[in-house]
Amino acid sequence: MTRFRRLFSSGGLARLRSEGATAPIVAFATFFALYIAINPEILTRFQLQTASNLVVPLAFAALAQMIVVIVGGIDISIGAIMSLSNVSFALLMVNLSPAIAIPVTLGIGAAAGLFNGFLVAYFRLPAIAVTLASFFIIGALTRELMDRPGGGISYDFFLATSGELIPFVPVSVFWLALFSVALYFLLQRTRFGRHVYAVGSNADGLEAAGVNSKRTILLAFMLSGVTVSIGAIMLAGSTLTGDPRSGDAYLLNSIAAVALAGVAFAGGRGSILGAILAAFTLGLIGNFLYFAGINSSWQYIIAALILLSVVAIPALVSRIQAERRKTK
Amino acid sequence: MTTSEKTTGAGKTAPVVPRLIVTDLSKNYGAIHAVKRVSLEAYPGEVVALVGENGAGKSTVSKIIAGAVSRSSGQISVDGEQINPASVGDSRKHGVSCAFQELSLIPGLTVSENLDLVDKSPIGRFSQKSASETARKILEKFDLSHIAPESLVASLSLADRQLIEIVRSLVGNPRLLILDEASSALTPPGVSWLFERIRELTASGGTVIYVSHRMNELAEIADRVIVMRDGEQVGSFTKGSWSVDELVSMMAGRETSSQFPQTTEIKIIGEPVLRVSNLRSDRLYGVDLEIYPGEIVGVGGLAGNGQSELLSALFGAHAARADNWEFAGIKLRRMNPQLAVRLGVGFVPEDRKLQGLALALGVGENLVLPWQKLFGFGGKPVIKKEQGWLNSVISSLSVKTRGVREAAGSLSGGNQQKLVFGRWVDKNRKLLLLHDPTRGVDVGAKQDLYSSILRLSEAGISVLWLSTEVEEIVNVCHRAVVMYEGKIVKTLAGATLTADEVVGAAMGGNND
Repeated sequence: MTRFRRLFSSGGLARLRSEGATAPIVAFATFFALYIAINPEILTRFQLQTASNLVVPLAFAALAQMIVVIVGGIDISIGAIMSLSNVSFALLMVNLSPAIAIPVTLGIGAAAGLFNGFLVAYFRLPAIAVTLASFFIIGALTRELMDRPGGGISYDFFLATSGELIPFVPVSVFWLALFSVALYFLLQRTRFGRHVYAVGSNADGLEAAGVNSKRTILLAFMLSGVTVSIGAIMLAGSTLTGDPRSGDAYLLNSIAAVALAGVAFAGGRGSILGAILAAFTLGLIGNFLYFAGINSSWQYIIAALILLSVVAIPALVSRIQAERRKTK
Repeated sequence: MTTSEKTTGAGKTAPVVPRLIVTDLSKNYGAIHAVKRVSLEAYPGEVVALVGENGAGKSTVSKIIAGAVSRSSGQISVDGEQINPASVGDSRKHGVSCAFQELSLIPGLTVSENLDLVDKSPIGRFSQKSASETARKILEKFDLSHIAPESLVASLSLADRQLIEIVRSLVGNPRLLILDEASSALTPPGVSWLFERIRELTASGGTVIYVSHRMNELAEIADRVIVMRDGEQVGSFTKGSWSVDELVSMMAGRETSSQFPQTTEIKIIGEPVLRVSNLRSDRLYGVDLEIYPGEIVGVGGLAGNGQSELLSALFGAHAARADNWEFAGIKLRRMNPQLAVRLGVGFVPEDRKLQGLALALGVGENLVLPWQKLFGFGGKPVIKKEQGWLNSVISSLSVKTRGVREAAGSLSGGNQQKLVFGRWVDKNRKLLLLHDPTRGVDVGAKQDLYSSILRLSEAGISVLWLSTEVEEIVNVCHRAVVMYEGKIVKTLAGATLTADEVVGAAMGGNND
């Protein structure tokens, strides 16, 4: 019994629990089981691939939002960075090879993160105001670059990001998994990653331990920007175009995914797996309702109900437990 | 202090280079001079205590040397080398480390992660396993094996957190260690643990700057005491040349006869105001307690033995049940804070900043906070109506404030504490529950609080007073209950109410 308890009180499982990932994991498992029950076809190669292409960019946006929220901020400009990266990439791909277009696009994401992060970390401006401002600026830049969908994404690129490049697994999920493992390593297995969590938990404390907390915040914003850009490239690959409005939907959805993932909005807590599964759940609700034969305008109400119950149930459970302990 | 020779602890006279030389150090915040031209030296193997009231500038001096605050002017040199630290990390590179008064640990990280934060490059692999292993070794080395490296800092008691904060400042064998109020949350065994660490460090040639409000610790640990007042250095004593009363009056800038006021004798008359039997709650396993009108009852014990839970339970802030619960003759089934206030209970919680005050609101609004009606006026009209009461509270507790509209957050710690306490004064209270109101409060403010507690007692108001300073319990309380593992294990009064008895009972010894 004690060994059993130890298993849960130390190591990866405990980390998932303390980072709030239990609820989104359970929610996704339940949701996906229902989905399969209503539409078993989802497990066929084609449907799985279509569904993945739909949710993977949102997963990247959710991870990007989570990184900023962990350091105690919030990023309103995520949708705008997504559109800008998406449009830039599509334009670059007209004449250049992906080997150039991809790094340049990631650089654009990093630059947007640098702008936001610099003002938040070194000028101590509130993240919500800074990113709202950059949302307007970046939005205007994007429309300057491209005012209607277009660009030059090749079919080969579609196959590489969103097609059937590898057996069994949709390739977009493969890229997401690869990135997530790298991000997990960065956040959990490097000192920089622990600083990211620490700065959101207590920035002054981190500074008092002799760590440069401003630089940590700046780098976290840049990492977030790069993550958004990868999502934008995935999106361009799956839609075969660049679209100046393609990122719009990702702002609120990334915030909703982060809330659903149990990430603490005060900072310091958030799980990668939780954010990805939360994004998957939110991203698939529309399809789910279609197959269930429910009017799609219910989509947002269902999303809201899932969100509220996932946030409320763990809170209720822990309150009841605490109450019981006290009056025993 | 201009001499370059110094008698070392071993008794031999040798020319010794000062470890730390601070020259004409000043710090201004706008027009406010927090530190004015302070100069001091500290030698290898020496413990220099820095004392003064809150706001005297000793914390600012420590923080400047530690690199957490930038200075306005002046020089600092360590082992003859001029340093100009831009951050705490910078100072640590020069062998200067500091345990901060406001605990600087990261609550969301584990003990081992917190210990791993210092002195390491951010580019580097991190593994929970090896960090835990390193932390376990560090904790064993410092004799703190009872703290698990994997536990979250947020789940530790205040005392344990302070121990970890101290350990973190000891990691890397500093040449100069600054302890800023490092003992404020420690229990008596914790303090002796700290003194052992200090002696180890000084024996190997380290220097310690010791900032404390606990006067009785200085005789034991300090080789030299520097007194500060209003940002200036006002006196300096070598070992054996000071008395506590002398220090206190120099800090306050006025003559004070003793640290503690004279407690008036109490005659137990009438029915108890509170009678509770077999009170059970989280970490409270059956407490019987009676408090009579006008009685000051101290609650002693090591931190984490149910004292704070007892206070919260009696105020109804935590769910609790009892076999029999009477307050002022009224039988109760359960308590909640609203009922408690209505019945005449007042509560001064542990953390004035988190639980006590709305820091952004004004002094006046904070004082009237419990006395506003849900659908009544708030803000200015209430302040105006209560002006007389507000002024009397502010003057009777001598709260240093520019007026009722000054934000509570801009007052010093001691004055903030007076506000939390003051909101219950002259408001028909029958029982006040005090959670260590003098923690981290300067001597002057402490004395103001002591005398108002006594005034309340003389007016027939009972006080249940949780204190981490045994001297307070022994000198000011009429009676003391000592808690151990969620129960009251000893009740002491009169001749048996001595520091030794309280500490002995707190350790769980010689109890029935």
